[in-house]
Amino acid sequence: MVNLMSEQSIIRTSNLNLWYGEKTALKDISMEVPDRRVTALIGPSGCGKSTLIRCFNRMNDLVDICRITGRIDFHGNNIYAKESDPVEIRRKIGMVFQKPNPFPKSIYENVAYGPRIHGMNDKKRLDEIVEKSLRNAALWEEVKERLQDSAMGLSGGQQQRLCIARTLAVEPEVILMDEPCSALDPIATSKIETLINDLKKQYCVIIVTHNMQQAARVSDYTGFMYLGEMIECGTTTQIFEHPKEELTENYITGRFG
Amino acid sequence: MKNGRDCPGGKQPPGNHSFPPVSDETLAGSHEILSRRHRRDRLIRAVWFACAFFAVIIIFFILAFLLFDAYPVFFEIGIWDFLTGMVWNPTGSPPAYGIYPLIVDSLLVTILAMAISIPLGVGSAIYIAELAPSRVKAIVKPAVELLAGIPSVVFGFFGLIVLTDWIRVNFDVPTGETWLAGSILLGVMALPTIISVSEDAISSAPREVREGSFALGATHWQTISRVVTPAALSGITAAIILGIGRAVGETMAVLMVTGNAAVIPDPIWNVLSPVRTLTGTLGIEMGEVAIGSTHYHALFGIAVVLLGITLAINLFATVILARIKEKHMAVNACSPKKSGTGEKQWFARYMQKYKNILAGIVLGLVLLAVFGLMGLLAALLGYSAFRLIQGRISPKWTQRVAFSLIVFCILSVLFALGVILYDIIANGLPYLTWEFLTAPPSNLGRSGGIFPAIVGTMYLVAGAIAIALPIGIGAAIYLTEYTREGRATKIIRTGTDLLNGTPSIVFGLFGFAFLVIYLGFGVSLIAGQITLALMVLPTIIRTTEESLRTVPVSAREGSLALGATKWQTIRKVILPPSVPGIVTGTILSIGRAAGETAPILFTAVVFSTRFLPDSLFDPVMALPYHLYILATNVPGAKGQQYATALVLLGLVVAFYALAIWIRHRSAAACKW
Repeated sequence: MVNLMSEQSIIRTSNLNLWYGEKTALKDISMEVPDRRVTALIGPSGCGKSTLIRCFNRMNDLVDICRITGRIDFHGNNIYAKESDPVEIRRKIGMVFQKPNPFPKSIYENVAYGPRIHGMNDKKRLDEIVEKSLRNAALWEEVKERLQDSAMGLSGGQQQRLCIARTLAVEPEVILMDEPCSALDPIATSKIETLINDLKKQYCVIIVTHNMQQAARVSDYTGFMYLGEMIECGTTTQIFEHPKEELTENYITGRFG
Repeated sequence: MKNGRDCPGGKQPPGNHSFPPVSDETLAGSHEILSRRHRRDRLIRAVWFACAFFAVIIIFFILAFLLFDAYPVFFEIGIWDFLTGMVWNPTGSPPAYGIYPLIVDSLLVTILAMAISIPLGVGSAIYIAELAPSRVKAIVKPAVELLAGIPSVVFGFFGLIVLTDWIRVNFDVPTGETWLAGSILLGVMALPTIISVSEDAISSAPREVREGSFALGATHWQTISRVVTPAALSGITAAIILGIGRAVGETMAVLMVTGNAAVIPDPIWNVLSPVRTLTGTLGIEMGEVAIGSTHYHALFGIAVVLLGITLAINLFATVILARIKEKHMAVNACSPKKSGTGEKQWFARYMQKYKNILAGIVLGLVLLAVFGLMGLLAALLGYSAFRLIQGRISPKWTQRVAFSLIVFCILSVLFALGVILYDIIANGLPYLTWEFLTAPPSNLGRSGGIFPAIVGTMYLVAGAIAIALPIGIGAAIYLTEYTREGRATKIIRTGTDLLNGTPSIVFGLFGFAFLVIYLGFGVSLIAGQITLALMVLPTIIRTTEESLRTVPVSAREGSLALGATKWQTIRKVILPPSVPGIVTGTILSIGRAAGETAPILFTAVVFSTRFLPDSLFDPVMALPYHLYILATNVPGAKGQQYATALVLLGLVVAFYALAIWIRHRSAAACKW
């Protein structure tokens, strides 16, 4: 088992296996994710990093043919235990997707959606939450004049920041990001990266990326995956400068992938 | 210095970087290919334009023709007296031509039917799209689609034999032929349409959006009610409009179970009163009227009013739809919306508010007119109770309650449809013999078989589809692929919508007046085929358009960027993935054409003939009409009635099953 220094860990997976039908997608993954840090998952396409991140908030439950063994502990409680409620878990572990996926509603309604479904109906409080979340997602200045416009009219980068704001509005503890910049241009990407840096003051961030420079820029810890296995975990500096495994080194240096 | 021209085909010396020469021949050749492709593209475009043009022209033509035949009545009686007269008695002396009771009755029947079928239908659609385990879905979804094919005359037959009897006994009334019977029947009939179309809309809400909601910790029900359903709202609205269209325009089933007394229920919410709808009046009286008499023109007047009502419904729905789209839907993801000046925005917002109020007022008036203050109060109470409860109960409980209601919806739907099917199969099967299928009828259908009717129906449907399918697909291609959204497309689309909502009996009237009388076809196969083709045309256009639209712009651009012409792009990239949608539209059309009685009532059918048609100008027998006459005019033929219903049902369902299977196979291949 790979241990991440002496940090306070918030998520811990033990012997996690996952199958899509007959196909094994994750093999015996054991790792710890520290709180208030950015952890990056890297690896070539199809290595299971997106699958893994979708396990953390049980999004894979939505896939019919998916089967899981092992455990993932969040604050020491197994989120795959019978009595645990995926809805509750997803409230605490938010997710930002590869493709920006705003709801076909107004900008305001997109951000207010989360608080509303969790029972917040006070208009004034909602206004505050929306503003705060949009500010924290570095989007407020760009949209404050047109909160009632459709979110679909925003640019890709703005949409992605809106999705982040939407996630922040429910005040989760962990934010999962599944290749959040892969559909964005470099300027939008750098905005999101700056944002990630700010977010780690309050949240645990786990980011999947196929861009190694991005992993090096934004993350404190990095896990390298290959063919469904966690090959190596460590601080980002260690992984990029002194990888222990040859596979990791080959990938980092661009010999495959 | 050597260059390419000196040594054709020779090796270029190393270091020489000039391009190898292109011979003039190949250039000319590619030019020719280009211009040929260009010419072909233009030709094809013209063909599609002709199709779209035809679709529009025909609407105005029908309208003009009906008006032409109707105007004498407005002239003789006066529009106002015609519309507001309280008595409809064209055979009395003096005859009275007031259609107010007919209008009110039509609205009442439709509204109650929708009150039954919208909640049940949308609930069932949500169940199938969201809650059903994949195995259940694989059975229920095609089953519901199959049920869309149950012909209206079969429903009418069931209503006449079973439902009215049930109402008579359970509500202790002298006769079960009532408003309630008509509404229940219409509600059930509209269900498959509403379910199928809503389910499609709900299922097509993008997976990403759904995941986005789940990832925020929303429950399944919250995701359904706040994200998925709003995103699918325009599709659901379309489904409801289709359902209303079916209910308003339905003739046969209503005519068979509502008692046909031209009175306004007293009191107005007395659902056990007999009623007579506009369509029913046309169905009953058109066959017996003297051509050219005041009564004849009055019937065309009714058809115009009917058309007017459908037009109003459609326009109203279009306005609502546009408002929803404006509010919720993506404008165009690629081009960020230009935010107008503050003044304009203020105006837009004001308009939106104003529209809201207007819609509210209209709805209020309708409710008030129909159910009186009671209904309005009840609606208000219900709404406020809902708002109150919504905030207080935990999402989990809301979900549990909502899901129970949804399961209740699908179970009631399946139960209702199951009862109908069981009754017809159980009673019809014993009489279904080889002789019944292959012999002509004798003794007014009490013995013998229905062979000529089976053949006649097949001729009618095949002819109708053969005419409507190419024109419909062509028009749809032109509308989606060749036009920019503008005034012209708007007119065409409104036209098809209008045609779509046009009651089938109106087509029957048009076919009778234009094809049978004016063109002198007589009551004939060809008149029936053309009439049916006109009737199914809008369905084909709409469904084709919709499926073409689901092909993403990126796919079009991808193909065009490779140098494909427009037509190549359409044929190779856009049409193949649209095939399932087009097949669905065609299925619906076949079902309608095979099961409809009203359009062929006066144009193509005779009740009893021993012979098959020799030419297109011979009249034919048809299954739905045969069943209608057997059920209403021939006592003592119960076995034959059930067996005929069963055959009609089996025929249509077989068509449907085949088409669903085809679509299922092609759907597996392609998914965006």
